[in-house]
Amino acid sequence: MTVKVEVIEGGIPHQKIMIAGLVSTLVCLYLTYLNVLTNTEMFAFFGGLAVVTALIWGSHTIKVLCSYGIGTGVPSAGMIAFGSGVIAMLYATKFGMAAPIVATILAAIIGFVLGYVSNNILNMKIPAMVQALTEMAVVGALTLMGFAALMTGGFTFEGLTTSEVSMLGISISTTQNSFIGGALIAVAFLLGAIAIQHPFNATLGPGWKQDRMLMLTAECGFLSMIAAAIMSFAFISMGAAIISLIVAIVGWAYTYNQYICLSKRDAAAWLDAKPIPEVEGH
Amino acid sequence: MSAVAAKPQAGGAMNPTAMGVGVVLLLIILALCWYVSPGAGLMALVGVIVGGVLIGFGTHFVPVGGAPAAMGQAPGIATGVAMLAAGAGLAGLFGGAWAAEQGLLIATLTGGVGGGLMMAITCMMVNFVYVFGMGIPSASGKVAKDPITGDTQAEFKSQGTEGHGLPFVSFVGGVTGGFLGGAGGTIIYLELLSLYETTLPATMKMLPAQVMPIAVAAAGIFAVGLFLVNAVLTAYNITGTIEGPHDPKFKRWPRAIVASAVASALCGFLAILIVAM
Repeated sequence: MTVKVEVIEGGIPHQKIMIAGLVSTLVCLYLTYLNVLTNTEMFAFFGGLAVVTALIWGSHTIKVLCSYGIGTGVPSAGMIAFGSGVIAMLYATKFGMAAPIVATILAAIIGFVLGYVSNNILNMKIPAMVQALTEMAVVGALTLMGFAALMTGGFTFEGLTTSEVSMLGISISTTQNSFIGGALIAVAFLLGAIAIQHPFNATLGPGWKQDRMLMLTAECGFLSMIAAAIMSFAFISMGAAIISLIVAIVGWAYTYNQYICLSKRDAAAWLDAKPIPEVEGH
Repeated sequence: MSAVAAKPQAGGAMNPTAMGVGVVLLLIILALCWYVSPGAGLMALVGVIVGGVLIGFGTHFVPVGGAPAAMGQAPGIATGVAMLAAGAGLAGLFGGAWAAEQGLLIATLTGGVGGGLMMAITCMMVNFVYVFGMGIPSASGKVAKDPITGDTQAEFKSQGTEGHGLPFVSFVGGVTGGFLGGAGGTIIYLELLSLYETTLPATMKMLPAQVMPIAVAAAGIFAVGLFLVNAVLTAYNITGTIEGPHDPKFKRWPRAIVASAVASALCGFLAILIVAM
């Protein structure tokens, strides 16, 4: 028997967030394909937007799952999401243009099996488990793909494993200076895993509000995007990387501001306290 | 109902039907792997499954205390399974990866020693903080006597708590768990690395030296991913906290073996498909 601790009151239903998150993430990922069509790298920043939308969906899924009090802590949910997502994502990159769709399907299969394993073999018996782990694996895979697109401008296996380096005027192909070969995928892994588990971990409790948590997720997503955009200078042209960085910084500043406003709204009482004044005569 | 009382009642019961389904699923994946890549691929998959099962089993030994331990109300290290297993596993993985050229046995042992060392240092510093910082003695709430030293526990246990600190048996459990986890992670890494080293040059049409960074990074990230999946599944099995090998929850390990084997097989199969198809 499991008791659901918190019920979602008001706000957007989870079904809606899930569909909106999946569709907008896939659309943003495919918008980075404009890079290939127009032969530029200017559209890499759409990968970062895909990361943010996927994270917003994922953090709400974590809220749905962890409302049941699974007893293992919220971070574990983020870790399993990316642990299963990275495997689906890496294999899906082999499929060229179909990669985002294939990643979604493969991650859903892995997540479904993991959900079945934990619910039935490990006897967790949590109603939302199978669906939540399925969604979370998809979120993990799509977030990593978004980071890959943001950093390298594409999401195909060739693009992620090789890059052209110009040395003494001669352009040579190298595997070391690439998203996978340079192990930047490990950085992307943790940037995403921390951004996905932090928002619910930080806002849970009796005063939980959906819009405040989702705004914090967007803020964490843009913060990760800043770091990833700085790394993208190594792979894509200077102009494209600067566009990504500007988008990330503007997005982060806006969402951070909004989050502070929402926090002040939800605080029982907040006072812009000044330092204790020095009173004469003591 | 309060959040404290709403702990999941997963219990120690086995679900034979689900276990059967799990074993069948495992066999299906093995058969698929044999069909796709009968030689090297199947060998690598078996190695991945062995590594995953070692991680899943090893995590049961680690004394995970969670939030109650941070307040000195339950024994164990005051954090979650995911963090502890990731710490021990990654420390082991790094150790093992350094020794990768020395052969499977030495590299696996090195990985195990790395994970065990990490857990030994963690357990010792945790006990320093408990004893000298919080001023509490180490006492188990689950057993009357320490199974290894035979020390009685009840006199040292504060009323209203489930025990506190890290008793000797939990310390030993932590080091054992770190050793098994580190060794398991290293086996996964080594198996995938040797598979990628031999097959990637043909798939990517490059020289073996050129694909080396890809092989190392891909095998490493797969090992990390598999490690976290197995550790979190084990965390679900013990519903968050465990005292060590003497805890009654430890008896749930057969479930985790099947779960880890199925999860590792599925994830490992995808990792092998990258080079096999």
